Amino acid sequence: MSELSRRNLTWLCLLAIVFVVAPAFLAYFDQGYFYQLSTLALIFALLAASLHLVTGVSGLLHLGQAAFYGVGAYVAALLSINYEVPFSVGLPLAGLGAAAVAVLVALPTMRLVSIYFAVATLAIGQMIYLVLLNWVGLTEGPNGLVLSSGIEFFGYDVGARIGTYFVVAVIVLFSLWVIHRLTHSYYGNALRALREDDQCADAMGIDTVRLKVGIFAVSAFFAGIAGALWAYTTGYISPGDFNFANSILILAMVVVGGLGSLPGAVIGALLLILLPEALRGVGDFRNIMVGLTMFLVIVFVPKGLMGEVSALAFFRSRFASAWQGGGGGKVGWR
Amino acid sequence: MNLLEVDRVSRYFDGLAAVDDVSFAIEKGDLVGLIGPNGAGKTTLFNLISGFQPLSGGTVRFSGRTVDGKKPHAIARLGMSRTFQNLRIFPNMSVFDNTSVGAVGIVGQSGWNAVFGTATRAETISRRSWAALEKVGLASVAGDLAANLSYGKRKYLEIARALAMEPELLILDEPAAGLNDSETAELAAFIKTLNAEGITIMLVEHDMTLVMGICRRVIVLASGRKIGDGTPEVVRTDPAVLEAYLGTDDA
Repeated sequence: MSELSRRNLTWLCLLAIVFVVAPAFLAYFDQGYFYQLSTLALIFALLAASLHLVTGVSGLLHLGQAAFYGVGAYVAALLSINYEVPFSVGLPLAGLGAAAVAVLVALPTMRLVSIYFAVATLAIGQMIYLVLLNWVGLTEGPNGLVLSSGIEFFGYDVGARIGTYFVVAVIVLFSLWVIHRLTHSYYGNALRALREDDQCADAMGIDTVRLKVGIFAVSAFFAGIAGALWAYTTGYISPGDFNFANSILILAMVVVGGLGSLPGAVIGALLLILLPEALRGVGDFRNIMVGLTMFLVIVFVPKGLMGEVSALAFFRSRFASAWQGGGGGKVGWR
Repeated sequence: MNLLEVDRVSRYFDGLAAVDDVSFAIEKGDLVGLIGPNGAGKTTLFNLISGFQPLSGGTVRFSGRTVDGKKPHAIARLGMSRTFQNLRIFPNMSVFDNTSVGAVGIVGQSGWNAVFGTATRAETISRRSWAALEKVGLASVAGDLAANLSYGKRKYLEIARALAMEPELLILDEPAAGLNDSETAELAAFIKTLNAEGITIMLVEHDMTLVMGICRRVIVLASGRKIGDGTPEVVRTDPAVLEAYLGTDDA
């Protein structure tokens, strides 16, 4: 009972911060910069939560999440520009588009184990990034896309900055609630079994390949939603927003927060978005800081802020099983 | 009725026979031990039956269905559950969560059901998991991290996870490995109760007192071939078995 009320209290606090404290702060200072920053923090909280499902819970080291974020953003932007699809339709389509691409690339890669899978996701992320960059006819390449319309619901334009903030907050919080339900369910336990010992999970009657493809798609769906939110709130996207550095940034958020913990991933996202802004002086050293933070956390706080698994043991096992040849003597395959 | 039929099953590694033309059938409700010297092919045979390795020849039928060529999870869903030789629990999960994985694999829960569905599936999984934990006596530590259990309790956890699948056939790969004499005796009594409750059990074991003490039937493998099959009394005095274990007279 006390366990339950404590959990409710956590959610209440979260709701209060997101819907009362933060908007009050934003309205009081009324600066565009703070609005941008809070929206960015919410979007990355969702991205970190989406990667938490694949890497933190299911144990698949995924180095290309930013690409699915990009697919979502481009689907939303292109639908809006070319077909004048409204936000309320474009948003779910962006998620579904990213999930569809994820299923296509997951089918051939899910048989790969450990570090080979990680390298494959890295390659997929780069390929999608290069497509966004070079398919000039569709994506305008490095010039990026400018969206004409903002966030609107069934013809009603939320227009004002505070309105945009509330729409993003509601969508992100609802998504986090769904991810929370997935994480703390028996379905989530089956995912954890993949992380702990997927061969053993297979012996328990779990169709491991199907489960992996499924969670990969669900994760990409939420990354796509985050991409659409980014496209609609900034009104301008370019391939640079979805490059490898962003994939690593999202991974760092999950590792800093602790593998397997959703609140951890969200706090990791807030830290890695807000801290570099607070320390703006470091400027171009931002990327080094992200890598350094992840490295230091892995070495000195292996469980992150609130993780279930030691990141050190996690990365070690992903590499070690590759050295041992994965399954059945066929290197890297199962 | 035969629950499991192993028919002329072989497995070659680079031309070397690990399991060579082995046939036997196990009746529903039986308690069968599989013994043999090191490298006799016992674990390989278990892997062939449970779908972890492909057969080089022969057929395996379970509950009247041909299962060779099927994936391990498909075979598990037909009612076959196994444990592993070197204790494979999920260390970073709680005792209860470990057990629930066995139930969720069989009952099944989709992501959609987990988020928006009714609680019926979750309740079935929960009921099965608690029942399995009660049976092995780990219900009181259900919330503990599996990695923090003692070695002996981890063994029972692995069995609980297999029981949550509510299997017809339970395959135990060296359940007594690493246990002391009193723990082994306790485990033997436990395996007997499980069998009395109607679960067909097949176990690989080095500990002869365990096998000879509880099994109704013993199958002996040596160098991948079946060299003995019968009640413990028959097998114990079988010259071929003695030769495999103790060497020939003129050696």
